[in-house]
Formats: sequence, structure tokens, C-alpha cells
Amino acid sequence: MICAADCKKVPLLEFQNLDYPVAERDFFQQLNFSITVGGLIGLMGSNGAGKTTLLKLAAGLLQPKRGRVLLGNKDISSYSGRKRAQYLAYLPQLLDMNAPFRVAELVSMGSYFSQGQQHFSITEAIEIVGLSGKADAFLSDLSGGERRRAYIAMTLLQGGKLLLLDEPLANLDLKYQLELLRLLKQICRDKQISVIISFHDIALASRMDRLMMLKNGKLVADGKPEKLMNNDIIREVFGLADEDIPSLFSGFIKVC
Amino acid sequence: MNIYTARIILLVFTFLFAGSGFAIAAGSPPQRIVSLAPVITEMLYSLGLGDQVVGVTSACDRPAEAARKTRIGSMPNPSLEAVLALKPDIVVMSREGNPKKAAERLQALGKKIYVFQPADLAGLPAAIREMGQALGAASKADEMAREMENAMQEAVSAASANQSAARKTLFIIWPKPLIVAGSGTIIDQAMELNGMSNMAAKAKGSYPRYSAETIIRQQPELIIIGAAHDEAMGRQVQSLLQQLKMLEAVKKGQVCYLGDGLYRPGARVVEGLKELKKCGETY
Amino acid sequence: MNAKKQHTALRAGLLVFGSSLIILLCLISGQQLLNPFTLDQETLNTLLALRLPRVIVAFLMGGALGASGAVLQGIFRSPLADPYILGISSGAALLVASGLLFGINLFSLTIPALSFAGAVATGGLVVLLGRGWHGLQPERLLLAGIGVGFFLSATLMLLMTIASNDGLKQAFLWMSGDLSMVDFGAVPFGLFFILIGLALAFYHHKGLNALTLGDEVAYSLGFNPVSERLWLFMAASLMTAAAVSMGGVVGFIGLVVPHIVRRHIGSDAKTVLPLSVVSGGTLLCLADTLGRTVAAPLELPSGVVAAFIGAPYFIFLLQRKQNR
Repeated sequence: MICAADCKKVPLLEFQNLDYPVAERDFFQQLNFSITVGGLIGLMGSNGAGKTTLLKLAAGLLQPKRGRVLLGNKDISSYSGRKRAQYLAYLPQLLDMNAPFRVAELVSMGSYFSQGQQHFSITEAIEIVGLSGKADAFLSDLSGGERRRAYIAMTLLQGGKLLLLDEPLANLDLKYQLELLRLLKQICRDKQISVIISFHDIALASRMDRLMMLKNGKLVADGKPEKLMNNDIIREVFGLADEDIPSLFSGFIKVC
Repeated sequence: MNIYTARIILLVFTFLFAGSGFAIAAGSPPQRIVSLAPVITEMLYSLGLGDQVVGVTSACDRPAEAARKTRIGSMPNPSLEAVLALKPDIVVMSREGNPKKAAERLQALGKKIYVFQPADLAGLPAAIREMGQALGAASKADEMAREMENAMQEAVSAASANQSAARKTLFIIWPKPLIVAGSGTIIDQAMELNGMSNMAAKAKGSYPRYSAETIIRQQPELIIIGAAHDEAMGRQVQSLLQQLKMLEAVKKGQVCYLGDGLYRPGARVVEGLKELKKCGETY
Repeated sequence: MNAKKQHTALRAGLLVFGSSLIILLCLISGQQLLNPFTLDQETLNTLLALRLPRVIVAFLMGGALGASGAVLQGIFRSPLADPYILGISSGAALLVASGLLFGINLFSLTIPALSFAGAVATGGLVVLLGRGWHGLQPERLLLAGIGVGFFLSATLMLLMTIASNDGLKQAFLWMSGDLSMVDFGAVPFGLFFILIGLALAFYHHKGLNALTLGDEVAYSLGFNPVSERLWLFMAASLMTAAAVSMGGVVGFIGLVVPHIVRRHIGSDAKTVLPLSVVSGGTLLCLADTLGRTVAAPLELPSGVVAAFIGAPYFIFLLQRKQNR
């Protein structure tokens, strides 16, 4: 799906005045934001800030109490399962380790609802995510990071323009975190796919194209990382004490 | 369902099957007979048809000669292939114990069958006569039937001569688990003939499970116990009597042992009746 | 990757070919070998009349159970699921035993109809109890099934204790999977529902694959996990009910055949479903044949024989998997 002329004006994903309760109290209140085509978007916040909930709302797994989630200016509830799968993909934080499939079989499942419209072949997708030699390997034989990349290859086959990944960097070594980020950025650039990931490691924040920072269900900051990585915002979002903050900007966190 | 409905349904079945049994078996007497139940095997031998028997079940061990015949499987699960391999002229089955499906299959495959199904003790002589007719042993069957009728008649007269009221009796078939003879069994009917009142007649089912407490509560005057097959059962019988030792009947020794003649409607019912009558007279 | 597909196709082909041979063997074996050249016409016809229904019913039953097991293992994402996991067999057995014990049978289709009704009713009850806020949840379904199954089994035991001796042995025999008296009577009925169940399951084979990855991923792929699960569960229930209605409760096959197929062919439902049908059918045929031949004229229940053949092979497969 090459970006048509007006697609920069039509938001890929938009939350309008969204309310969502958690444990019987309003959590998201009047949440508004929109995402247009392009880029790696990082959803940042401490645990319980609402990252997973937001992603699920965006995917349609949860329904807002008030307000709307729009995909390309149409309410998400008006999308059939097929159409929605062709539009976006969502991967939860915990992926089944024991699914008895080979990589190629898993990846091919992405095309279940996108027959004839997919933009990648299975081989291509596997290559893009860097698993070329392992098409016939069983998922259970792969490392955690490799497994996630196999699932990502599967989502590529869905042909959507939006990828929602919940904590894809969790439990990975720094080296593999960076590799995965590089892969995601490459996908964004080369294939014009927008990727929203949730994460909470500050050291990686600078690698995002856009940062959305959540605290207790409130979007406290939204913009380019350079602009947002200042003391005040970090203190608020992460609840840090003053003495810990100066050392963050060098990319290292010193523990005294 | 109550006993009357059951009797009516049994009667209908009897007509359905007995009638068909009769019609199918008309013609020259069968030369190759397969029996699908031990009680049938016994009766065939009693009717003098032992030589014509070509197949029996794995449980058919009476009389001793029967054990040498070809086996065709078990009573609840006979092997149709084995039966058919013997090329029988007629297959004799018992309504109680053989699967109905077997009768249907055999008939569907063109085999003659005869289903022996006396409704109750009173109907046994007639059923035997009928089977004798079907198998070409009418006179021997008549003899057997008459013996049975005489034995029953003797029991009735002896009981009516004895003016005392019907004695509360319990027939224990198996000590552990404790199973007694209820209504609807040959034993129950034989007991009635002999002027004994079956304590277990009101219990649900033909072979209800009892507990020692129930027996003690009901206070039978006479206890009849089916004879022990082996040592183990004998010991269990003794231990049961130990549990019941406070009963008047046990203290007075009103306990009588009986063979298994009355367990099934067949050749040894006469024996059983005579034993039961003796029991009633002795104790 | 094309090589892999060819490899799989070859294995599948071998499996089908081997199965056909085995089934032919089943028809020929028995107390008497069915040799068309040496036997007279009458004996030939009799043997065929006895064996053909058995072989066909065994194949249909085994096939239905294999497919049902494959579907349920996918829905519950558990290798331990089998067709009776939801108490379906208890419901069928209860209704049939009631019929046998109270002498309700007057037509030859009564037992199949009763067992089918019992199975379907139990399935329906379990589904009703298993509905959580989000529709059919696997855990609730499982617990409901176990609870209902136990309750029905207990009722059955009670029934058998207080009822008379007559139908008891037959009820027991039927419940242990007795194929000795089968004829073609129950086949059209059973076949009809097996085909419906298979069609449903096959129609939803993509959903079955997706469900294996978890509800969220299945959703992301475009499926409604709740409705997929419901349809697939119905398919499995229909097939199990039909199998039970034809020849009683035969265990083991639904549990183990899908594993064997997956071990050799892979986990894609598109191949696992049909091959489970073939393998399950063949295994039960084989078990039934052995059961009636090995100790003739004694008839060993086919479920027991199936376990004897299959369990060692299953354990062998487990060992190999560990060593991989």
C-alpha cells in the first residue's frame, strides 16, 4: 500500500476524547492523540502507566467507555476482523513459546486474511527480519529475540501499515535490543510502516522518532526525544529523585 | 415402573419372541445346535440333545462333557464369527444374559434362532415344553416340565398343610458384597410357593445390595444362604454370620444352605425346589 | 522450502497408502482368513457381512475421534485434551445405560440416538456453564466439563447400583467400546454428523491454527477467537457424539493420534485434520481386528487393544522428542 497523496493528512490512528476505566475508576480520561504515517513511536512510562492498555485500545482488544478510536478516519468498531487485520497488527508481550510451528508456517499465517493483497512473500518477510537460515526451524528452538522476529515477520504478511508491539525489548540483551530497534526502524523507513512500541528503558529513548510519555493514564509528553529528554519531564514520568537525573543524559545510569 | 407394568412388558416380549421362536424352528429337528448361555447348555443336555450341541460359551462347564465342545465366546459377548463358522442349524439364546443385538444380527444373516425366555417360575414348564417342541425333543421336555410342575405342586401343598403364617425369610446370594434375592427372581417365586415371605421383596431391583444392619433391623426368622463355591467365599459367609450373631435366627441355628439350582430358570430348578422345601421343613 | 513441502506431501502419501493396506488386511483377518479363492460363496458372504460393517464403523469412529482430539488439543492449547475431556462420554453413557437398564429400546436406532442425544446435551450444558464474561474461556470450559463429567458418571454408577442385573453387563460392554455386534444400521446417522463436524472443523482450520498462538495473536490475525472456539468446539462435539453413538466409548485414540500425526507431519491443521482422520480410523480398525483375532473366540475391547498398540509407540515418540 504505497502512501497516497493525502495519506499524510488522514491520521493512521487517532484517539478522540477517549475514556477508559480501570478497576472502576476512570483511568484514561479525554485521551487525545493522533499518529500519521511514518516512524518508530515509543510509548514510555513506568509500570501501570497504561502502556499496554493504550496499545490494546488501539488494536481494538479493549473498547473505550467514551470516545473513539479511529483507524484512517473510520471508527475501529466498523472494521471487520479481516479489514482490521489488513490494517494493523498487535503482538502481546508474552508470546507463546510452545506453539508447535516452524518459522515458515507461523509467518504464513499472517496471510490468512490478506490473500492476494500481501506485499511480501514468506521468504521476503523472513529475510527482512533476519531469520533467513531458519525458515524450517521450530519456534521452540529459537531464542526469545528470534521468536519475536518470527512473529514480526508474520505481521508483515498481514500487509498492514501499523504495527503495535507491547514491550518487544523486554528480557533481551542490550545487543539484541539494539538489533531489534534497528530492524524496526528499517521496516518503518523501507516499507512505510508505523510501529508503536512500549518500553521503559530510558537509554533507548533517543532512538525513537517520536516519544509518547504516559503517567497514570495521562499523556504528559508527546514529541521528539531531543525535546522531551529534560529533567522535569523525566522526574514527573518516572518519579525520580533529583540526584539521579543528571547522569541520565550521558546514556548511563550511575548507581552511587 | 411397578411390577405389573414390568410383567406386562415381559409378557409382550414373551409373545414376540416365543412366537417367532416357534415359527422359525418348525421342520426337521436341528442337528447342529449352538448354545449361547450356560443354563441353555445344561438344558440341552438334560433334553438329551448333548450330541447335537456343537458350540458353547466359555462359561459352559456343566455337565462336564460340555467343556469339551468348541467355544464361541462369552455369554454377554459371543463371537458371531465363531458361531457362524460352526454352521449351526439353530442358535439357542437366553433372553436374560445374551445381547439382543446378537439375536438381531443372527436373524439378519439368515440363521435360525430360538430365544428361551420363561416369564417366571410358573411359566417355566411351558417354556421348556415349547423349547422341546422347537428342538425336536418334545417328549423329554414334557417329562422335565411335569417333574417341575410336580415339585412346585408339592411345595404348595406342604406349605398350605402347615397352618402357620408365612415365615420372614431372607435369601443371601453372596456374602461380600452382600447381595440378596429380591422380587422378580426365581428364588423369590420359589420362596412364595413354599410359604416363605421374602423380606427383600420390597427392595428395589432383583438383586439388591443389603447391609448387615438392615438384616438385623428386619429380623428374619429364617436365613437361607447360597452354598459357597470355594474356601474364600466360605470364610466370608462365616464372617457375615459372625456379624449377624445377635439375630434370633442365627442363635437358634435357623440358617440353611442351598445349592444354586434356583439361580437360573433351567434344568436344576427341580433340585432347587426340593432343597428349598427341605429347608422349610427342617428349620 | 519447497523441498520441505514435498517431503511432507510424500510422508502424507505414504501414510494414506499404508493405511489402505492395513484396512484391507483388517478385512481379511479374523478367525478365518478371508481368502476369496479358497472359501465358498456362502461363507465369503457371511464373513463379509460380519466384517465389513465392523471395519467401516471402526474406521469412521477412529477417524472422528482422531479429528476431534486434534481440534480440542488446538482449542485448549493442551496436549492432554481428548474427545471426552468435557464429560461428553459420561452424558452419552448415562443416557444409553438408562435405556439399556430400563429396557427402553424398541427400535434398533435407539442406542445410537440416545448416546448422541446424551453427548450433545452434555456438550451444550458444558458450553453454557463455561461461558465467562468474554464468551467461551478454555479454563472455565475445562472445569465445567470436569465437574459435569464427574456428576454424570456418579449418577451412572448410582443407576447401575440400584437397577437390576440384566442390562448391567451389556451397559458395561457398550461403554468400553464394543464393536462386536455393529451393523450398518447406525452408520448413516453417525456418518452424517461426522461429515458435518469435519466440514466445520476444516472450514475453521485457519482459526484453529491461529487459536494455538493465543487469543490476542489470533485476534490480531483477524479472527474472533471466541466464535472460532465455539464453532470448533461444536465440530469436535458432533464428531465425538457421532463416534460414541456408533460403538460406545473408545478411549486413547483421540488423545494420542493427533500427537503422532503432528510428530511426523507438522502442526498445520490443514494437514493434521485429514491425517488424524486417516490415522485414527486405521488404528481403531487395526485394534478391533487384533481384538477379535488374537484370542478368538474371545473378543478384546478395541479401546484396550488400541492402548496396547499405541501407548508404547507414543512413549517412544516422547523419548525421541526429548533427545532432539
